[in-house]
Amino acid sequence: MDSRLLDILVDSFPKILIPGLTVTLPLTAIAFSIAMVIAVAAALAQFARVPVITQICRLYIWIFRGTPLLVQLFVVFFGMPKIGITIAPFPAAVIVFSLNEGAYCAETVRAALESVPSGQLEAGLCAGLSYLQTMRRIILPQAMRTAFPPLSNSLIAMVKDTSLAANITVVEMLRATEQINARVYEPLALYIEVGLIYLLFSTVLTWLQRVGEKRLGAYENRGV
Amino acid sequence: MLLRVENVHKSFGALEVLRGVELSVDKGDVVAILGPSGSGKTTLLRCVNFLERADEGILTFDGERFDLARMSKRDAARLRKKTAFVFQSYNLFLNKTALENVTEGLITGRRIPKGSAVDAARRALDKVGMLDRADHYPSQLSGGQQQRTAIARAIAAQPEIVYFDEPTSALDPELTGEVLSVMRQLAEEGMTMLVVTHELGFARTVSSQVVFMEGGVVVEAGPSRQIFEAPRQARTRAFLQTDQA
Repeated sequence: MDSRLLDILVDSFPKILIPGLTVTLPLTAIAFSIAMVIAVAAALAQFARVPVITQICRLYIWIFRGTPLLVQLFVVFFGMPKIGITIAPFPAAVIVFSLNEGAYCAETVRAALESVPSGQLEAGLCAGLSYLQTMRRIILPQAMRTAFPPLSNSLIAMVKDTSLAANITVVEMLRATEQINARVYEPLALYIEVGLIYLLFSTVLTWLQRVGEKRLGAYENRGV
Repeated sequence: MLLRVENVHKSFGALEVLRGVELSVDKGDVVAILGPSGSGKTTLLRCVNFLERADEGILTFDGERFDLARMSKRDAARLRKKTAFVFQSYNLFLNKTALENVTEGLITGRRIPKGSAVDAARRALDKVGMLDRADHYPSQLSGGQQQRTAIARAIAAQPEIVYFDEPTSALDPELTGEVLSVMRQLAEEGMTMLVVTHELGFARTVSSQVVFMEGGVVVEAGPSRQIFEAPRQARTRAFLQTDQA
């Protein structure tokens, strides 16, 4: 490897990593947290068959799962100003990623809730718990254990999907890389470099998932 | 009289499972509900604790009258705190230890302070011989141990009556014995129990009253001695004989 290329890679590394730490990860963390709140609320409403709200949830999930994430970003960032709603790039990305991820994760959580044996709810009611207490103390914890691996999957996918925010001028890792590349034109080396940083982030999350599963799974007997 | 149900009707679609059932339980009674599969025993028990909504029927509990078809959630929750239910498949809370299974209904459901709830739970677990497994999760317990824990969960809040829905049907004969002996002990201590069971030996030796059901109605009811020794209905006689054979 010639020394110019090496210099470029070494020089660009912090310039890519820092937006990763200050934009990509915060965007993921904030949007995923909001998505979890949406997902659990939408899943519970559907599980309990709350009238009207259930239909609203179905409509929401239908729209956000049925249209491309990039289109959603464009509608919110480029489209909304047409009706007088101008949102800065980062908050626009947070809004779209939260709603998009919330729709997918709502289905994950709903499926997990439905996988909890119905006898658990009956036992809660017969033990003197209210419906809400049973949901909170018995059903939801078991469902979240089931939902944890697919939700981790979604989180890891989201770290990478935030690169789409480059298209609405959010200077996250990919856009930072593009900017460097525009100056030095080393697309192969630079895009592999940013790819490796994404891989590093995903690897850490995969490891965290394993730790989390171990802790959550304490009550599960996997046989002797 | 502690509990009385009258004229209980319940259909699932076109299938009429209960066709006007009545029965009553006095304080301290151990009432066994016997009958062939599909006779409506379990459905009756589930209607009495509002796990199924009856289409029609009157429930009298401790002098209070309720319309089973129009039971409010509030009343159902209030009555459930005076009763307990032991399921065929145990239904222990899978994410809780044996001890937590017992304390959950006390602390969260009945707002009993944690210290006294744990004391009550430990006493209940001790009674069913499960104190040494208090920290085990259901997945680490045998079927018989799980069912004994479920019985501890049922009795810890000192309910006025415990409903048992085929408590030993999921267990092999060896484990059945340990559960039945716990139930026998409860009966001797004067616990009021309404037990759906296929264990004729248990019904004969432990229960004070027997209700024989078939086809969604009560065919015959009376003191267990009389039902076993001199059943009035030919159908009851036939059922008791085939099962003994």
